Amino acid sequence: MGLPKVKYIVYRPEIGAVVGALAVAIAFSSLTEAFLTFDNLITIMTIGAELGIVTIGVAFLMISGEFDLSVGAVFALAPLVVIALANLGIDMFIGFVIAMALSMLVGYVNATITLRAGIPSFITTLGTMFAIRGALLMLTGGFPLKYKGPVHPLMVVLGGRTPFEFRMSAIWFLIGVAILAIILELTPYGNHVFAVGSNVVVSEEMGINVRKVKMTNFILCSALAGLGGCFTLDRLKMVDPLLAMGMELEAIAAAVVGGCLLRGGYGSIIGAAIGALIISMVKCGLVLIGVQAFWYQAFIGVILVIAALINAYISKWILKRR
Amino acid sequence: MSASMSRTAAIVLAIVLLVVGIAAGYGIGYATLKPVTKTVTVTSPTTVTVTVPSTSAAPAAATPAVTVTKTVTVTVTPKPPAKKWTVYFIPHAGPADPFWACQMRAAQAAAALLPEIDLKFVAPERYGIKEQIELIEAAIAKKPDFLIVTISNAEAMDPVLRKAIKAGIPVLAVNIEDYRPEEKRIPYLGYVGMDERISGEILAKAAFKRFKAITGRLPKRVVVGIHQPGLICLEMRTDGIMKVAKELGVPCDRLDITMDPTKAMEILRSYLKKHPDTEMIFTLGPCGSHPAIKLIKELGLKGKVYHACIDLSPKILDAIEEGVTLCAVSQQPAAQAFYAVFTAYLYLKYGILPPMKIPTGPTVVDKENLAIIRKQVKTTGGA
Repeated sequence: MGLPKVKYIVYRPEIGAVVGALAVAIAFSSLTEAFLTFDNLITIMTIGAELGIVTIGVAFLMISGEFDLSVGAVFALAPLVVIALANLGIDMFIGFVIAMALSMLVGYVNATITLRAGIPSFITTLGTMFAIRGALLMLTGGFPLKYKGPVHPLMVVLGGRTPFEFRMSAIWFLIGVAILAIILELTPYGNHVFAVGSNVVVSEEMGINVRKVKMTNFILCSALAGLGGCFTLDRLKMVDPLLAMGMELEAIAAAVVGGCLLRGGYGSIIGAAIGALIISMVKCGLVLIGVQAFWYQAFIGVILVIAALINAYISKWILKRR
Repeated sequence: MSASMSRTAAIVLAIVLLVVGIAAGYGIGYATLKPVTKTVTVTSPTTVTVTVPSTSAAPAAATPAVTVTKTVTVTVTPKPPAKKWTVYFIPHAGPADPFWACQMRAAQAAAALLPEIDLKFVAPERYGIKEQIELIEAAIAKKPDFLIVTISNAEAMDPVLRKAIKAGIPVLAVNIEDYRPEEKRIPYLGYVGMDERISGEILAKAAFKRFKAITGRLPKRVVVGIHQPGLICLEMRTDGIMKVAKELGVPCDRLDITMDPTKAMEILRSYLKKHPDTEMIFTLGPCGSHPAIKLIKELGLKGKVYHACIDLSPKILDAIEEGVTLCAVSQQPAAQAFYAVFTAYLYLKYGILPPMKIPTGPTVVDKENLAIIRKQVKTTGGA
């Protein structure tokens, strides 16, 4: 009775991410005593929540076999729209709804171009990323756009500080992880996502509407990216057009570290969330050691390669199992 | 290798990495604190009583003084180092920008002279206000003794800096100050740097004066290339230049040239093509100045299109000597970093409060005072 249970735990996709997170946490705590402090934990959660909410969307899409490189641009677009409309006098709640609709529209455009024209999603979303960044620069003239009004309840609800020092964004992140993980693991739709990512032809033949699944995932991914951007409203109260540049690659790295295969069909939302927290821990840990920020990129690169190697073993194992 | 073995191998590899990580962490920790055993040889005079047999007829000789060599083993534990104050220096851009590479080096040189200061210069790879704020948040967890930051965006940084000040961490502003009215301003200890409200004006006036001295008239058109749009100090410099240009009736455009030198060259090239009557290019930092100088030389426009800039570098000084750059305004970044670190030291060790402003510029540099500035650039990498 004991052995099958252990096997069940050990064969989960998250195991690599959990071990990795423990390794990073232990390594940093032995190098600096400030790592295991409450303040640092809050900072890790704040940075991790914003990256994390984007990562779980990217992971969900990756499992269904597609990429979205425009998430960073959407992350900047959504709060920009909210602030621009708020500065014109439009209530922030309405601005938020419009921003979310716009984010989902980006997802729809990504999906349509990819699915109709058959262009790899990597290329499509690269194009939309450039287009949106260009639009942001044109709209702002390169200036950061500052929010001139008083603190709006929406800002506090999305990303404000709670009495426990944590930001609301961390709570939304955890809720998002729970919802997506449940959908992926415990619902038929989740099964369809895995199926579509593993083998599109077989999924079609089994009656799964592949187009609908991928379209939904693209829209969901962009929506989560827009939501993540709105988390920064309370923290920064401004958006500069270069906000979150490079986040799309961090999110993909976090998803891979979390156990998602680049080729799709395998992965875990919880693992991706842990992957985002690993990246966040590395960022904070390096600051506490006093190391220059460019080590962070090198570090993430090394972790990513190790995670990819481990993923490669898993990939072989799955193929052999079939 | 069978399928289940690959899986197991992956798990084993991960656990091995985990163990290695822990071992490395502890190993580094212990290596610095291992007590050292030293063998010390001691020489001391000791009287030894020797029993001489009484069969000898001669009287007992005076007891000889005997030198005994003792070997004593002493365990020495290294004394804990003199109190180190942790000072975090967190600007909005890192050493990828030559200006900040110079500041980093100067700050580290200052810290090297002050053994009680443990300086941590941490900056985002790219210019990023969000990243800078995150680094500050992360540093506060370490409860440093002093924080030196650039106020790249006063509103966004207000909460995190006020939080630091409330937590008892003194904050010093460097390079960019809080330009808001006094009631709203972040209550930092002081500001080390140049007043950006006047730097652009001084540059423009100096440049136009020198242009007039050469050609006898004002330029037909000028352009300002800004490499970090939205950064308030650069925007203020631009405003100062454009104000002077407007007063004198010289058409002046503002151009976003980005931090990428290749892109900057192309953007300026297109601008010059579109506006062939442009006679002066203003740039606001080495990031923009190097491409501008390169472009003027490449297009053979020396003597037709002049360059003037704020902040120096060795290339810019060569350009001044060659006559490509008319003049430059310097804020002496090395001085900013030096004064900032020393201010922290004086505060922490002696409780000396810095003055509200320690100006390090603006100083106008041209062919006349090139020599001393060359020395500054040679020794610090910037000026």
